[in-house]
Amino acid sequence: MEKKVQPKKINIKMKHIIIFFAFVSSVAFAQEPSRILLSGGNLHVGNGEVFESAAIGIEDGKITFIKNAFAFTLKESDWDTIIDVTGKEIYPGFVAPNSTLGLTEIDAVKATRDYRETGIYNPHVRSQIAFNVESKVMSTVRSNGVLLTQATPRGGIISGSSAVMTTNGWNWEDATVQKDDGIHLNWPSSMQGGGWWAEPAPKTKNKKYGERKQAIVEFFEMAKAYTQENNPEKKDLRLEAMRGCFDGTKRVYIHADELQELADVIEFSKALGLAYPVIVGGYDAHLITDLLKDSKIPVMVVRPHSLPENEEDAVDHAYRLPSLLKAGGVKFCIQNEGDMEAMNARNLPFLAGTAMAYGLSEEDAVSAITLWSCEIMGIDKSYGSVEKGKSATLFVSEGNALDMMTNQMVLGVVNGELISPSNFQQDLMEKYSKKYTK
Amino acid sequence: MTQQLNLLRGALLLVILVISANSFAQIPQNGVSQSKAPYYALTNARIFVSPTETLEKATILIKGTTIEKVGKRVSIPKNAVEIDCEGLTIMPSFIELSSDIGVQKAVAKKGNGRPQLESLKPGSYYWNESIHPEIDASQGYAPNEKANKSYLDAGFGFAFTHQKDGVAQGQGALVSLAKSNLYKPTLNMGAGSYFSLSKGVSRQTYPSSQMGSIALLRQAFYDAQWYKSNEQTERNLSLEALNSQWDQASIFYTKDKWEILRAAKIAKEFDRSFAYVGSGDEYGITEELKALSSTIILPINFPKAYDVTDPYVARQIPLSDLKQWEMAAYNPSILVENGIPICITMEGHKTSKEFWAHLRKAVEHGLSSSEALKALTLNPAKLIGADDKIGSLESGKLASFTIYSSNPLEDASTEMIETWSLGERKIVKTYERPELAGKYSLLIGERRLPLKIDSKSPGKFSGSISPNGDEDSDSKIKVKLIVEQNDVTIQFGINDSIWKGSVNLRGKINHRLKIFEGDGMTPTGEWVKWHAVQTEKGKSVKDKEKKPFKTDSLAVAWFPNMAYGFDSIPESQPILFSNVTIWTNGIEGIVKKGFVLAENGKITYAGTRKPNTPRETIEIDGTGKHLTSGIIDEHSHIAISKGVNEGGQAISAEVSIGHVVHPDDINIYRQLSGGVTAAQLLHGSANPVGGQSALIKLKWGHTPEEMLIDDAPKFIKFALGENVKQSNWGSYATIRFPQTRMGVEQVYYDGFDRARAYQQEKASNPNYRVDLELEVLNEILNEERFISCHSYVQSEINMLMHVADSLGFRINTFTHILEGYKVADKMAAHGAGGSTFSDWWAYKYEVNDAIPYNAKMMHDQGVVVAINSDDAEMGRRLNQEAAKAVKYGGMDEEDAWKMVTLNPAKLLHLDNRMGSVEVGKDADLVLWTAHPLSIMAKVDYTVIDGVILFDSERDSELYQRNQAEKARIIAKMLNANAAGNKKDFVKKKKGHYHCNTIGEEGSTEENQH
Repeated sequence: MEKKVQPKKINIKMKHIIIFFAFVSSVAFAQEPSRILLSGGNLHVGNGEVFESAAIGIEDGKITFIKNAFAFTLKESDWDTIIDVTGKEIYPGFVAPNSTLGLTEIDAVKATRDYRETGIYNPHVRSQIAFNVESKVMSTVRSNGVLLTQATPRGGIISGSSAVMTTNGWNWEDATVQKDDGIHLNWPSSMQGGGWWAEPAPKTKNKKYGERKQAIVEFFEMAKAYTQENNPEKKDLRLEAMRGCFDGTKRVYIHADELQELADVIEFSKALGLAYPVIVGGYDAHLITDLLKDSKIPVMVVRPHSLPENEEDAVDHAYRLPSLLKAGGVKFCIQNEGDMEAMNARNLPFLAGTAMAYGLSEEDAVSAITLWSCEIMGIDKSYGSVEKGKSATLFVSEGNALDMMTNQMVLGVVNGELISPSNFQQDLMEKYSKKYTK
Repeated sequence: MTQQLNLLRGALLLVILVISANSFAQIPQNGVSQSKAPYYALTNARIFVSPTETLEKATILIKGTTIEKVGKRVSIPKNAVEIDCEGLTIMPSFIELSSDIGVQKAVAKKGNGRPQLESLKPGSYYWNESIHPEIDASQGYAPNEKANKSYLDAGFGFAFTHQKDGVAQGQGALVSLAKSNLYKPTLNMGAGSYFSLSKGVSRQTYPSSQMGSIALLRQAFYDAQWYKSNEQTERNLSLEALNSQWDQASIFYTKDKWEILRAAKIAKEFDRSFAYVGSGDEYGITEELKALSSTIILPINFPKAYDVTDPYVARQIPLSDLKQWEMAAYNPSILVENGIPICITMEGHKTSKEFWAHLRKAVEHGLSSSEALKALTLNPAKLIGADDKIGSLESGKLASFTIYSSNPLEDASTEMIETWSLGERKIVKTYERPELAGKYSLLIGERRLPLKIDSKSPGKFSGSISPNGDEDSDSKIKVKLIVEQNDVTIQFGINDSIWKGSVNLRGKINHRLKIFEGDGMTPTGEWVKWHAVQTEKGKSVKDKEKKPFKTDSLAVAWFPNMAYGFDSIPESQPILFSNVTIWTNGIEGIVKKGFVLAENGKITYAGTRKPNTPRETIEIDGTGKHLTSGIIDEHSHIAISKGVNEGGQAISAEVSIGHVVHPDDINIYRQLSGGVTAAQLLHGSANPVGGQSALIKLKWGHTPEEMLIDDAPKFIKFALGENVKQSNWGSYATIRFPQTRMGVEQVYYDGFDRARAYQQEKASNPNYRVDLELEVLNEILNEERFISCHSYVQSEINMLMHVADSLGFRINTFTHILEGYKVADKMAAHGAGGSTFSDWWAYKYEVNDAIPYNAKMMHDQGVVVAINSDDAEMGRRLNQEAAKAVKYGGMDEEDAWKMVTLNPAKLLHLDNRMGSVEVGKDADLVLWTAHPLSIMAKVDYTVIDGVILFDSERDSELYQRNQAEKARIIAKMLNANAAGNKKDFVKKKKGHYHCNTIGEEGSTEENQH
């Protein structure tokens, strides 16, 4: 195939033997190398810093050092594998928060959908154990550099508990980065109605908005009271699952977009003393940046590739929202909820890229799908940037990974393990290419 | 009388009745027949004889049901009852043309949830339940007195009532609204039938879209013509009705201004002329309406102000709604100014008060009162051909009119005094002459008190007395004053040295002399005589100043009348792009530091030397920027009205997206902002043969006709797979053939077999029945129409190529074509192009093998490949999608770029005029801030036919302007709110059409394509 698909320039030394990179893509390592050295790439750390020529040491899944590749003296015997990535771009694994990836396979086939449980308050429902590591969809997302995802349930008022997972693993257990990292609360709409898709009824001001809000407050008050007792006489599954929301071990992800809703969410979070509230969506968040900044509530911002909600909204509203939040001092990250979100998770890098075209600096755009996402989800101690002591979860791209033309993952590492940058779609391509070269 | 009755019966259907005094005497009466004065003479009135003729101090002489004479010098027969109408105004009764008053509403039959493909209406009627022209309102009319009353209260005397349902709705009937014991309500005059583009209550699956309704009506008209010109064995009452209505008034219900233009196309096709019931936004298409010279029946139920006191809600109201709120009251006057004949309907109002308030509002906003009167009387009468009898008060016409205390069109305090209907009088209110107002000297027994009587509205009086005898004194006592015909009651409380308590007076009025006199009781309990004599005349109500016109110079319509609309449509001007990197898509490839000149809509220069330019040339410096031809989206569903799918039948070749192009879709502007200049608007994928495409340029602010590309090649949508076999439509949709891929093939063979037979019939029978569906299928067989086929898996793609090969035509384009990479060699051999998604998959089972390398692999096999959107969001960044072909498969950058420009132009057979930056081609150009395939690329300018339609700098200004305009109108609305005028804002859910969207509304659910 074409030169850009399989970069042959990469040299990999395994047990002192130089091998072509193509080998990596087709061979499962019989014995996983535990000491890997990446040498020579342009490293985007994830925290805004850039190393022009980095040497990255990886041992037992962790990053042991970052050094200047020129100043670094290589001692080959120290490494199982040495990979020369000179001229390429190195990124922390991209993170797709708030996604049904791994919980669904074919949108139109009910049997493959595992993200929407019946019921209204489902904090006890856990996505972690439904996460399908063998998802074909996931393999195509992984190949674009998305190495972490937050498997997120949908529906109801509290959809359930999400979990942060790697997009590579043998089973959900070893793919888990953070189980039950938070619950997802769908804030009621201040505008209401809509009917069903073929016969939509008009939307009106939600007259029940106050009532619905109150119901949520009551549920949280009940949960808070319940959690005051560490060993309650009668255990309540639902309320047990709420415990972490108050003691700081669980995030509360509150899905809300409209101005009225956002203002209420902030008030609610304060009133209930939520340890880590997070706004998911935040279409109008640019209007209240001071408030968000002061109350230290981060935003997982609405998918940048979304149409404006209203006819007079700026055509590029969603493109610019990340830079508006950055300018307003609001902590945020980019997520991808929406139409065909699981399949589309592979375009996450280009969402950040678009945000970059519309005002974010390149490194901020990288942070918006790496470190900041991990900070918001509370896993930044181990993930989100390529720094000493953190998990070796990163990838190497031929060029700028935020641009479609140059995003070309040539090497991926998840928790120190080399992963295949290929996927079944590439296999199909190769299979049918043979048909035409016969 | 009996004789006449018999004569009437015999002549009923044949003769247009001359209505005489006796012609209604058909009702046998108990006892001696009811007495009626031979003549009535209403004298001294101001008479609005017609919209153009007003007589002061004139007389109207009535004999029986009819006006005998009208004029200033009418000799009054001795045996006439004379009614003095001094100070009163007489206006002809209004005529309502948009009402189903007294006619039973159509009710939907109960269904079982499964699709109903055939008509369930028994009898010799049309095959589709939405076509029922045979329904005759006169047969079902039963006066609904309550409903009639609100019309009568508003000054209406007649309604041309009809059942409002379906596409061909039926025949109207002119009824007199006033209750009568003398005659029946239905009048034998006026004729007309009604139509709409809405299906109504029919549960039959077809039509499911507006374009389906259009096709259905056209087919019905063709069928009626054929029925007429051929000897028929079987009768069809529907077609007979259509034929009998052919030359009558045909009144078309529309829901927005574009529907008028759509219906007008049908009228033109059949050399007919329609009148239209409008919706209130017609001011946006005055030029087009002028050309039509059709009457527009206007509703004046102007939108209420939204409740904007909550700013959180106010900001959710779309600017288009705000602008419509502001402009609505100007609609009647703008139309009249442009010479467009209008009628006014009361529809949409519950009470006469609301109606009159709005009517006066229209007058305040520039509609002259004579035009308003015309719109309510003569114009509707003319439209239904009843103006020889109604619509004005000339002699010989029916004596149906209303008497007001003043000109009701100008005076809000006017009162209705009497209504006359076919010579029958009904007193609404005893007229109290407002001249009672004034100063009086009141003498109660011995005590003299100055009395002042005010009248704010006719018949309503208030008064005050000055107890100290000094009329200029400040110490005044309020007086309760009730006037009933000639009786007056005066009551007041007083507390002074003379009287302590209540004074109650009762007396008679001498209106001529302005003297009151009678008896009353003083606080002392004394029963005394009293009288009052006018000393000074009060101000007459009529002397009030006329309200000035409420014109607001800021209230102007934009094109389109919504956010980002133009103040005026920009004109073509020469444009020179200089020092720019040109992606020519031609043999020169990418040219650096180039110049491109656009003049009169065409590219006149492209090269590296600076050309000579006309003086008025706009020069745009393109240093560091990239100029390309405009993006062409092969597969788009934006800018479509009321249904993207006609899914009612497996083959719907007769419908056309071209009939329902919708220029007010904000997504047109959004696509422009992404550099899209042209698109194929495709029918959806609900059936194996869908509808015809519309090839448009994204001319924001223009009409549908202007958007449609001139002489565009003809296209039609085909579809295969899950959508056409209704896989994801729920468990009830298991009836329509086909339900499997096996069935799909047979639908094609059957359709084309029928088309061939039709072709033979056409050749041999000059009186053949026109079949719109088969006409289009024949165009395919004759290779006059190209196919763009929605397709996913290789089996069905292969199948369709076999079908086409065996019938001798070619599949022009497979769209989606996600497994094209598996059969790219076969496609190339067949000559089919492919228009695909860059990387979509996994949304349904049949896209499980979709791979993003598809575009490149097809390209490598020699297939012309385009990348399309099928999605309003993605449509505005197709440059990014094209760039993915570089990522997946390593396509050459120029080739990748051609996939969204030149290649779709080729697939659409438009590459002779679009798709590259070459001299002679349309000036559809985009200036990019960076390499157009790069993630950093943004659009600076989008130019179509040499006109700048998107300008990124102007875009920011427009954003600010939109916000300011919103704030201005909301401030206006707040004033209206303060005056108690408000309603809750209802946010419309804005859906977007995708391939699989069924019904008239857009989808907001998960996209399945």
